[in-house]
Amino acid sequence: MTYEEAEKELTQIVERLERGDAGLDEALKLWERGEELYRFCTAQLEAAEGKIEELSKRASDAGTTR
Amino acid sequence: MKLEPIVYGDRKVYTVAAFNRGIAQWLQRLPTIWVEGEVTELRRQAGWQTVFFTLKDPETGACLSAAMPRGQFDALRLELANGERVHVYGRPELWTQKGELRLRALSIERFGIGEHLAALERLKAKLAAEGLFADGRKRPLPRLPRRIGLVTGNDAAAKRDVLTAVQARFPPARVVVAETLVQGSRAAAAMVAALASVAAEPEVDVIVLARGGGGFEDLLPFSEERLVRAVAGCPVPVVTAVGHEQDTPLCDLAADRRASTPTAAGRLVVPDLDELIADLGRSRDALARGARRVLERHSQRLGRARERLAHAPALLLERRRAALAQTAGRLNALSPRATLERGYAIVRREGELVRSAARVASGDAIAVEVADGSFGARVE
Repeated sequence: MTYEEAEKELTQIVERLERGDAGLDEALKLWERGEELYRFCTAQLEAAEGKIEELSKRASDAGTTR
Repeated sequence: MKLEPIVYGDRKVYTVAAFNRGIAQWLQRLPTIWVEGEVTELRRQAGWQTVFFTLKDPETGACLSAAMPRGQFDALRLELANGERVHVYGRPELWTQKGELRLRALSIERFGIGEHLAALERLKAKLAAEGLFADGRKRPLPRLPRRIGLVTGNDAAAKRDVLTAVQARFPPARVVVAETLVQGSRAAAAMVAALASVAAEPEVDVIVLARGGGGFEDLLPFSEERLVRAVAGCPVPVVTAVGHEQDTPLCDLAADRRASTPTAAGRLVVPDLDELIADLGRSRDALARGARRVLERHSQRLGRARERLAHAPALLLERRRAALAQTAGRLNALSPRATLERGYAIVRREGELVRSAARVASGDAIAVEVADGSFGARVE
């Protein structure tokens, strides 16, 4: 699951819950799923460590570059 | 001027200066001629007595240095720009100090628009007809790319600008950089290869192709058909930050998004971390609020049900009571009491109803029941 997918599903769950017409079981399941998605998104943000990687330059790249 | 070689035994040797001078003298015998080409690398600087430029063959890329005294150049009032096609009237000469051949320009005439521009227009029309630049092909950029590809020249500025902008907005960004040629005849092929290698990296969700400015000539590789096609065909969205407003390189038209500068491109490809965290927090609050609302609604419904349940026995009793009263009324209507109240009496002898006068004899004790009670009597 990507961050984007998780965020989208979370938004849909919030909208569904905000309509207030969900059954009790369903509402609880939605809430649990929503919390799970929230934790996933937060973890994604916290786990990501800024990183700059250089791809090894190819031999053919030698020459005048700018 | 006669050029004297140095003689070492049977070998005649010329100094470099003598060689150059000899060539220069020989060149002076060549006729003055017209040469057609595109002006590139035009250098007309305040302190310089001579204006330098390069004439380029648009078909093959062959180049020829040219020079003209500044006074003469300015007197022509051509206001030449790089990329323009010209006819130059002049003769070859050797710059003896450097041993370099150049065209000494005596006159310059503008000759139509640059072949490059025309060719570019033709290519642009062809690719547009194929739908390569269509809005419908543009893909949305990912909200949070797992990794960002950056294809750039090894100039510090463009690369640094992209990275700085990305890291300022989203410190945890992961960027994979491929430095490549961005200028010259091999640049387009090199950029196509760099683009492919970055796109092949796992988790790269968006690619930035950046170059910090440059002249018309410098940007030509960014309009080469193979690069334009590679940008359009890239498996992930591409953001270009190349060139200027006035000459849009064709790769900009094929890109999913075009940024005006490398900094702008950096801002486009990542979300603002603080905003993201705030958004998430709001979502979570809304989630809790929504869940609570559903719970409250159900709890209220339960409360109402319970209330109705509590009232149910009393209701039942009431209903029974009413039914009983009705039955009692009907029973009453059937009882003999009403008859007795009208003045009739029930007569019993030894507990048995007396229905006939023949059943009693004089002196028998009988019981008489009237509406409000009974009394004994004796038959006469």
